[in-house]
Amino acid sequence: MAESFAVDVQAVQKKFGSLRALDGVTLRVRSGEIYGLLGPNGAGKTTLIRSIVGLVAPDAGTVTVLGRRMPNVENLRNVGYMTQQAALYPGLSVEENVQFFAAVNGAESGVTDALKLVELDQRRKSVVTTLSGGMRQRCSLACAIVHKPKLLLLDEPTVGLDPQLRVRFWDNFRKMADSGTTIVVSSHVMDEAERCQRLGLVQYGKLLAEGSPDEIRSLAGTNNLEEAFLRLAGTGAES
Amino acid sequence: MSGHRIGAITRRLLQQFRRDRRTLALLFVAPIVILALLGYMIRGSSSTPSVGIANEDQGPLGATLASALERSSLISASTIQATDGDSKLKDGSLVAYIVFPADFSQRAQSGTIAPEVHLEGSQPGTSVPVLQALQQAFASSGPAASVHFQPQIQYLYGGPGLDRLDYFGAAFIGLIVFFLVFVITIVAFLNERSQGTLERLMASPLRRGEIVIGYMIGFTVLALVQSAEVLLFALAVLKVYNQGNVILIFGLEALMALAAVNLGIFLSMFARTEFQAVQFIPLVVVPQFLLSGILFPVSTEPKPLQVISDVLPLTYAVNGLRDVMIKGADLTWSSLQLDAGVVAAFCVLLIVAGVATLRRRIA
Repeated sequence: MAESFAVDVQAVQKKFGSLRALDGVTLRVRSGEIYGLLGPNGAGKTTLIRSIVGLVAPDAGTVTVLGRRMPNVENLRNVGYMTQQAALYPGLSVEENVQFFAAVNGAESGVTDALKLVELDQRRKSVVTTLSGGMRQRCSLACAIVHKPKLLLLDEPTVGLDPQLRVRFWDNFRKMADSGTTIVVSSHVMDEAERCQRLGLVQYGKLLAEGSPDEIRSLAGTNNLEEAFLRLAGTGAES
Repeated sequence: MSGHRIGAITRRLLQQFRRDRRTLALLFVAPIVILALLGYMIRGSSSTPSVGIANEDQGPLGATLASALERSSLISASTIQATDGDSKLKDGSLVAYIVFPADFSQRAQSGTIAPEVHLEGSQPGTSVPVLQALQQAFASSGPAASVHFQPQIQYLYGGPGLDRLDYFGAAFIGLIVFFLVFVITIVAFLNERSQGTLERLMASPLRRGEIVIGYMIGFTVLALVQSAEVLLFALAVLKVYNQGNVILIFGLEALMALAAVNLGIFLSMFARTEFQAVQFIPLVVVPQFLLSGILFPVSTEPKPLQVISDVLPLTYAVNGLRDVMIKGADLTWSSLQLDAGVVAAFCVLLIVAGVATLRRRIA
């Protein structure tokens, strides 16, 4: 039943020229869980996330989000998307950026909560160009969650962040998941993988393995998650 | 100073260009195209201004001059009735007509040659070949040394007081607004793409049409303020000749701005960097500048170029602005209805094109 999953990706294929970015990926994300997409750079994680949000039209296969086939513009009201790059308007203040994305999603009342969650309420009047990289990422996260989405897609949200800030980001994700938000997060950082309930290992556009961190470890026959991934990725490369 | 290091910079620069075919094309193809266009426009022009000749002279001199004018290579002369002259100037079939009045030969005997020259007057430079042809015809008729050549010049529009700024001012009001609005829009919309916010917008409940129309309204607000400023400066400070309704001029400028905004949005879909976007400026603006009748009347262009001129929005805007400002046209004129209608149709076409290309280019 597709309805019991927040995200249901079935046999999705996508080619860019001769490059097979997604090669028959099938995965399901349960409502309310934090699902980690792991894989090296160029594995197809971003293309997968973009196809979930409807920005990439698959050549074959289907994507269902919150019970509705994608692409579906109306359904995007329930989806938050944070791109790899902190996509913000540099000439606007923090608050103006968040307000804009709130207005686009019809959720003007969520601005203050979002700014508090990312701890930027003290810097709400600061223009984005004056912010540090970490603050921009936080502002970008605030823009993605301001409308309290049911599904939050995060494409390597912690790239370039210092360890303390990374921990704070993950605390935020945990809080949101606890309140019922489903989170799909891509990463290639193993200590982040440990924080996910389930993981999908993506390489060469394929889902090589899927399961909880413990399941992944036992599948690979090792106690170390990083080693587990290297072993599983090695198997995938040979197949 | 290290030659090695300088060499590294030079080499890197040339390597970059090697992979950027579009920039190479702009550097080496565009100048040839632009110069060829200019050369063809000026030298390839086959048409000479159409001039009507009404000979009412009861003596022989009018007929002599009329046949000399018909042989002239500077103009293409045709015989008309003097009473039809003004209507032919108005409908654009003549740029001038010359009347040799009934007492023309008689007055010549008393020492003054005074043909009536009626000029349409709204386009720069068209009076020159007419007067030259008349002068040559007069010279070839072998006049007595004592005869004075005093053509009586009348203008349907404008007058002898019109200078180049009056002719070009009307057209430039449209061009300046079009050019600046286009540049700002194409770069701003491209920023939206390159800073990643467009991707974010596309992943929101916003529809493509909402993005394009939202952009259009935002830029149009700025463009309207700019249009008002340009118009005020042209009329109040530069004192550009104006016979028409200021609101109508502003309306045409606004339509022009709207077309530029939408062209900018549409073309930004075909540029990946700001550098590439800037390259659209000469491609879009230069041909329109040359072919829209700002510098040379469209009717004097070689026929194949007239076909191109006829599909450029700026041609209609320039024509409309000149009609309003120099001829005092209003919306009851069918020519102005056409001009405004064509520019408005371009706006609609570009909005549709912009919306249609948005999704494709982000995927």
